[in-house]
Amino acid sequence: MESVETHIAAFEVLLVEDSPGDVRLTLEAFKDAKVHINLHVASDGEEAMAFLRREGKNLNVPRPDLILLDLNLPKMSGQEILEEIKKDPILKSIPIVILTTSTSDEDVLRSYLLHANCYITKPVDLAGFLKVVRSIDDFWLSVVKLPSEVKL
Amino acid sequence: MSVVQNGLFSLCTSLRTEGQLRRTLKNFDKEKTKSPTGWKIQLAFGFAILILLIVGASSNRSMVVSNESALRVRHTHQVLGNLQNLLLAMETFESSYRGFVLTGNESDLKSYRANILSSEQHEAAVRSLTVDNPAQQGRLPALETLISQKIQFGEMVVDLRRTKGFEAAADAIRIGQGKRSMDDIDRIIHELQEEERRLLTLRDADANRHLSQTKMILILGTTLGLLIAFAAAWSVHRDNSRRGVAEEALLESEQGAAVILDLTHDAIFVRNPKNEIVFWNKGAEALYGWSKNEVSGRTTHDLLNTVFPAPLAEIEAEVFRTGCWEGELTHQRRDGTSLIVLSRWAVQKDGSGNPVATLESNRDITQHKTAEAHLIRMEARYRGLLEAAPDAIVIVNQSAEIVLVNAQTEKLFGYRRDELLNKAIEILIPRRFLNEHPGHRNEFLGHPQVRAMGQGMDLFGLRKDGSEFPAEIMLSPSGIADGILITAAIRDITARKRAEEHLVKAADELKRSNIELQQFGYVASHDLQEPLRMVASYTQLLAKRYKGRLDSDADEFIDYAVDGCSRMQRLLQDLLAYSRSGTDVTAPREVSCETALKEALANLRVTIAESGAVVTHDPLPAIVSDDSQLVLVFQNLVGNAIKYRGAEAPRVHVSATKNGRNAWTFSVRDNGMGIDARYFERIFVLFQRLHGRNEFKGTGIGLAICKKIVERLGGRIWVESQPQKGSTFCFSLPESGGV
Repeated sequence: MESVETHIAAFEVLLVEDSPGDVRLTLEAFKDAKVHINLHVASDGEEAMAFLRREGKNLNVPRPDLILLDLNLPKMSGQEILEEIKKDPILKSIPIVILTTSTSDEDVLRSYLLHANCYITKPVDLAGFLKVVRSIDDFWLSVVKLPSEVKL
Repeated sequence: MSVVQNGLFSLCTSLRTEGQLRRTLKNFDKEKTKSPTGWKIQLAFGFAILILLIVGASSNRSMVVSNESALRVRHTHQVLGNLQNLLLAMETFESSYRGFVLTGNESDLKSYRANILSSEQHEAAVRSLTVDNPAQQGRLPALETLISQKIQFGEMVVDLRRTKGFEAAADAIRIGQGKRSMDDIDRIIHELQEEERRLLTLRDADANRHLSQTKMILILGTTLGLLIAFAAAWSVHRDNSRRGVAEEALLESEQGAAVILDLTHDAIFVRNPKNEIVFWNKGAEALYGWSKNEVSGRTTHDLLNTVFPAPLAEIEAEVFRTGCWEGELTHQRRDGTSLIVLSRWAVQKDGSGNPVATLESNRDITQHKTAEAHLIRMEARYRGLLEAAPDAIVIVNQSAEIVLVNAQTEKLFGYRRDELLNKAIEILIPRRFLNEHPGHRNEFLGHPQVRAMGQGMDLFGLRKDGSEFPAEIMLSPSGIADGILITAAIRDITARKRAEEHLVKAADELKRSNIELQQFGYVASHDLQEPLRMVASYTQLLAKRYKGRLDSDADEFIDYAVDGCSRMQRLLQDLLAYSRSGTDVTAPREVSCETALKEALANLRVTIAESGAVVTHDPLPAIVSDDSQLVLVFQNLVGNAIKYRGAEAPRVHVSATKNGRNAWTFSVRDNGMGIDARYFERIFVLFQRLHGRNEFKGTGIGLAICKKIVERLGGRIWVESQPQKGSTFCFSLPESGGV
């Protein structure tokens, strides 16, 4: 059981989000869901790619098990980051959840065409948001079997 | 037609009057009896008979002569034969008595006796045969004497032999009287024979002469007879031909002229110097309605109420001077209707130059005149139209020379009419088009038909002052006898061009402003959403974490903040929905309205179930439109019908009726609370609500979205309702391609 719990606690999630309010809200939501994750935050595309490629100060960062990606970002847009990751043979196996305020059908379609693993619109009210974060935790961090960092 | 008429006219004028016509016929009859044929034939027959008589007499005579000659020749031959036999008998006689002398044999005396008899017979024959020839007859007595002496001598010798024996007889013979008489007989007979032969030769020649004469006469007579016969035959034939022609003339004139004059449709009549009608053909009967008998002796001008183009005296003076007149007259028919005729008069004068009759030939040209008048009116109207036309109208001939321009042309191009006529059309064309223009013109002449000039090209006209104006030009060809005319209607489209440019600019501006507005709506609602979400989320977080831990004022404030945030969020969401609706219209395709309605009802499943509403519908058509937008419209209208319900359970009915050729009207009828007529417009305006927030939720966006969508799809939306009596929301959509 220990090892299992340790395993669960070891979940690494990268949140790509430029709004500190949203970062805190996400953190609070995970807290509310009583899930133990290590939430890493990148506030733009460049930071996110540096983290994923362990560049610069990120030499010792873990490989994330899941990426939560906002679309509306400064510098690189969320979709450019998505494209970049899915083109990378090492990184493309990491599941990416688009978590955004956009409800545009075009955004939805483009994201899936770029191999996003799922697309979630942030609910505007707190209760909704908490529910969504709990669902992510349930599904991606409990139900789903995720790939480990093994070179094929 | 006019040739025929002229021909008839000349026939008529040559005959002039019926009286003269009769006279002509009588003269013709006299000439017929005086015809040369009669006496020529008589003469020819006279000649022929005379010749036949001559030939007959001549051949008869010839035959008689020839018969006579033949008889005489035969006669001569008889004479010659008898003379020869006589001579032979005498010689045989002499030798027979001499034989008896020698032999004394009595049997020798047989031929002696026979020859005496024979010589007597021949002598008698010669005598009778030459009875018509005195010369021969003159020789005969001497011959008879010699013959009787010879016979006596013979008798004496025979007698001597018998009585005195041979010696005596021989001595008598030797004495020689016998020899001499025999020679004389021989000589005379030869003379007779010579004479007969001479006669024979003469008669032969005479017979031959007669024969050749007869031959000649026969040949000549026959030839002459034949010639006369031929001449007579030719003469008869020629006279017969003449007679045929004359007979035709007779037909044309006697019964013919009147009949032929009756064949023409023209009215032809003859009047005497007192203008009384003396001849009136069937054409005149038909044209004027008066019969021949009715008009006889009446005065034409009174009868027909003639209206002359000039005073009658002048016309009559001209007729008297020139013998004829031609002009248009107005006549009146028996039934009172009037007509216009082309009238031709010809006058016949007597030896002293006084007119005796006038022939008048009239043709009805009323219709022609009416058509002519119509043509003149049309021409005037056409002129009027041409001058009044708002376009400059220029007509050019095949050589591109201007042959006609209207007033508008002068105004538009600044030239006077006389400055343009007979000039090349190029005067009105800007220089830069001059190279291409002849090519285009030839192309048009190759396929001349009404069309706009230079489709797809910008055309310009060149004014006298050198300025240009944009033009629209219609071309239309019209064929005339010597080629083709091109009518060009030229319209100055400066104002239109300006308006078009203005319109394009305005449309561009409107489009840009619409896009901006849309972007504004989208951006505003979307970008406002973010900070609002923060406010709402943290206010709610505050409420969640600290409710009951602060004082009651704090709790109440937090509640208002949360409520305000949610309403703000709803408004922003609806605004976003509104600004998006109708903008992301997909390519129009055939949409089953039934399917769209079913989808809308599926989306409303929970609402319908909770309210216990009954939604029914008629069969709905398929139209060419946008299905997702249509679903939204149905969803909003049915949703509203349930939301604004009356006391009873909601009943909603959806139906569609064809409206015109290419449109459908859909209606959503409910039994809800109904709407006061004064709100019919207002309910479709964005965020307009008729109820308090506590009564019904919602921002007032639904019908605004419906209106926007329906209008984008090419239709319109309206409501028919009375409070408490339910509402019917209607919208029309085109059946195909409204988007």
